[in-house]
Amino acid sequence: MKRLADLGLVTYERREYIELTPEGERAARRVLSRHQILTSFLSEVLMMPAEAAEADACAMEHHISDEAMDRMVRFFEFMRSCPNPEPGFLQRFHDCSIVNNELPECPHQCNLRKGLNQEETPLMSIADLKPGETGRVRQINTSGSIRQRLLDMGVLPDVDVRVERVAPSGDPIWIKLHGYQLSLRMNEARAVLVTEPP
Amino acid sequence: MPERKTIRVALAGQPNAGKTSLFNGLTGAHQHVANYPGVTVEKREGHYDHDDRRYDLLDLPGTYSLSSFSPEERVAQDELLNNSPDVTVVVVDSTTLERSLTFLAQIMQLGANPVLALNMADEAEEAGQQLDLEQMQSLLGFPVVETVGNRAKGMTALREAVARAAANPVLRSRLVLGERMDRALEAVVDALAGTDLDSGGHVWTAVKLLMADPMFTDLLEAAGEPGRRALDVARNQREKLEADTGLDVALFVSERYYGFVDGLLKEVTRRAPRRDARAISDRIDRVITNRVLGIPFFLAAMFAVFWLTFTVGEIPMGWIEAGFKSLGLWIGGMWPAGSESPLKSLVVDGVIGGVGGVLVFLPNIVLLFAGLALLEDTGYMARAAFLVDSVMHRFGLHGKSFLPMVTGFGCTIPGIMGTRILENERDRLTTMLVLPLMSCGARLPIWMLLVPAFFAPPWRAPALWLIYAFGIAVALVLAKVLRRSILAGEEAPFVMELPPYRLPTLRGAVTKMAERSWLYVKKAGTVILAVSLVMWFATSYPKPATYQLDRDIHAGKVVVVTVKGKGAPAALAAARARAPKGTAVLTTNEAENRRKAEDLRYSTAGRLGRGMEPIIGPLGFDWKIGTALVGAFAAKEVFVSQMGIVYSMGEVSEESKGLRFTLARDYSPLTGISLIIFLLIATPCMATVAVTRRESGSWKWALLQFVGLTVIAYVISLLVFQIGSLLL
Repeated sequence: MKRLADLGLVTYERREYIELTPEGERAARRVLSRHQILTSFLSEVLMMPAEAAEADACAMEHHISDEAMDRMVRFFEFMRSCPNPEPGFLQRFHDCSIVNNELPECPHQCNLRKGLNQEETPLMSIADLKPGETGRVRQINTSGSIRQRLLDMGVLPDVDVRVERVAPSGDPIWIKLHGYQLSLRMNEARAVLVTEPP
Repeated sequence: MPERKTIRVALAGQPNAGKTSLFNGLTGAHQHVANYPGVTVEKREGHYDHDDRRYDLLDLPGTYSLSSFSPEERVAQDELLNNSPDVTVVVVDSTTLERSLTFLAQIMQLGANPVLALNMADEAEEAGQQLDLEQMQSLLGFPVVETVGNRAKGMTALREAVARAAANPVLRSRLVLGERMDRALEAVVDALAGTDLDSGGHVWTAVKLLMADPMFTDLLEAAGEPGRRALDVARNQREKLEADTGLDVALFVSERYYGFVDGLLKEVTRRAPRRDARAISDRIDRVITNRVLGIPFFLAAMFAVFWLTFTVGEIPMGWIEAGFKSLGLWIGGMWPAGSESPLKSLVVDGVIGGVGGVLVFLPNIVLLFAGLALLEDTGYMARAAFLVDSVMHRFGLHGKSFLPMVTGFGCTIPGIMGTRILENERDRLTTMLVLPLMSCGARLPIWMLLVPAFFAPPWRAPALWLIYAFGIAVALVLAKVLRRSILAGEEAPFVMELPPYRLPTLRGAVTKMAERSWLYVKKAGTVILAVSLVMWFATSYPKPATYQLDRDIHAGKVVVVTVKGKGAPAALAAARARAPKGTAVLTTNEAENRRKAEDLRYSTAGRLGRGMEPIIGPLGFDWKIGTALVGAFAAKEVFVSQMGIVYSMGEVSEESKGLRFTLARDYSPLTGISLIIFLLIATPCMATVAVTRRESGSWKWALLQFVGLTVIAYVISLLVFQIGSLLL
């Protein structure tokens, strides 16, 4: 451990946690089989047949730069470890654009047409909901004090929000969540992206 | 026995959690309300004794979280972090525990020594919720009590809990936010150890740095090299956390707080509330706030408050006015009849008149706050804001600005005090600054004098209507301009809670009314009284040594006759017929009015009026109007009586036909319009200036309002008069 630290590859403060320095992280990733990563990326993400993926990984691994490799690895890891903020994003990509040879430009339509992926309906904002409709929060697409206030009020991913009523002029709207009720202006409501709850 | 020190207790909680009623329950009358320096955030302090110990209580502003977006949030955070109170009572609404306990989580994270007050426990119980308090207490490691603030229940238990917490402080309430977060926090806290920031706040500072809170980032940037190093560490950790979790840290932390609350509630809930806890409230809303009945009901509610404040308020106002008048007469009677003693004038006209001028608004204020308490405590205020927000928002105002502005049509003073219902500082200041443009009741006598003087009968009603509409239009435009200029900034979130309907309690309403009235009398009243005295002096002094009238009498140009009773007109006519050519005949009354006019002309106000002539000339005004305008600063309606005095008509009212006739003779209708516009927009009365000073917490806003409105009035009147003169 001491030797790794001297090489500047890890930092270890105190007893418990060991952290890789950026250099260390890159070194580790180089050590990890490039071949393996490229193969799984080609087959799992891009849905190539196993043999073709293997062959292409061979061809790529000797020419791809460290930088590109590093980024590809990050992307791949991100895809695998993190279903949020938009779960099923990769699934939709597969449904639409590669497996089915659809043009990738309009995943919503594609989704509806194929009827694949029943649980994943497209994102809309609670501003699009009509009184009486319910949505499950997926994303809060704003920043600063409005975002903080929404979070404080319990507008979080996976929470169901029901639009109770709309002011006479159509703005603001009145929503219900967790058993209490809030009003939001339209520009705030548009930032809360929801899907239809299952 | 060792010296027992005073224990400092802070009361923290989200808006609508009933903090203030708990505060009142704990301290009773021992409280003091002021503003935090430099902001319009109210600082409420008080104290109580328990077991021979004194507890100093500070009511923090209600905020939904401890962040640094609004002045309220900054104040609350700063008090807890830097003035670390011995005990922090966290007040939560028992009916929305899921949300309100996240605030407790933040207080725990900040490292405070908390006591949890589960307020509105009666409502939660009614909804069927049952909690295991013992279990909750042992899990949290600090006292938990149930309270009902608006009925002052659970106060003894709360006092005891505070005493217990003070005796056994929680050294470090540990909030587990998950391994990832803890690791990141630890790294940042380690880096903070190198800075000279107080170590007590390191964990909280670390949380805020991870959330990229601009206030804490600035704080560290100012802390030199170690600060910048800590910032770098925080940035690295933040990026790592976000890469690991795929969430930004603010969202991640919020989820963690909710996770903590969720876990806690699972452990302590014996019985969950029934689902229909809000059923009645929802049923009421289906009628009161629906698309058809919403607006009519809203207008009816606004009208009811207006009617209560002004129509009902007029009755006690009459008593107060009459009371001060007879008091003035009684005290004046101590001097020999006809005495011209300056002391008599000071006491009767200056002091008694001034105090009367302060107290005469009191019924309005008491009744307005009764109405406001009713609207707020029932929960209707939030619904009213919901209904009209879109209109108000278009002009940079808030839905809740509506009520204070409507109140302004009755009187600007209670209107400005009513802006207190607005939570956001910028909303409050904007509303306050434009409020004098709502044509108040004191301006009505002026319109009743001027409109008939300058408009033909068929045009009188539309003209009056136009005056009001013009005031509203200027107010809305000005609000928009303010929000684009000096009060610009990120818009405060409208994300607003709509609490269930509740029955208001008399205790709550009375406390609010008494507090507001007292604040008005004490804070604004002293300023109003002082300005009244100055105004009295300005209109009375200096006195002329000799009167032109006396010189004329001496020269034989004027003859004064005393006529009385039924035969007076005939006697006067006979005297006139007898008088030589070129000699005017006046009654004693008329002579007295002439002297008063000369007094006023000679006084400071008169001199000011004449001095103003070059400035107000381009608006079409002469020195007489100028003198009356100076008087109108004391109170708008004084304009009418001052005009009467300048024109030697003695005491006049707006009904005075003679004055109307004189005005129509001396001034063109264009001057009339220019004058109406000027009086509508300019010079809020001195009470307005004093109350704005008191409510905004600084002279800056009061002077800005005074100067700003006067300049705007001047410019508009100037344009109207000059362009009008060119066209006609």
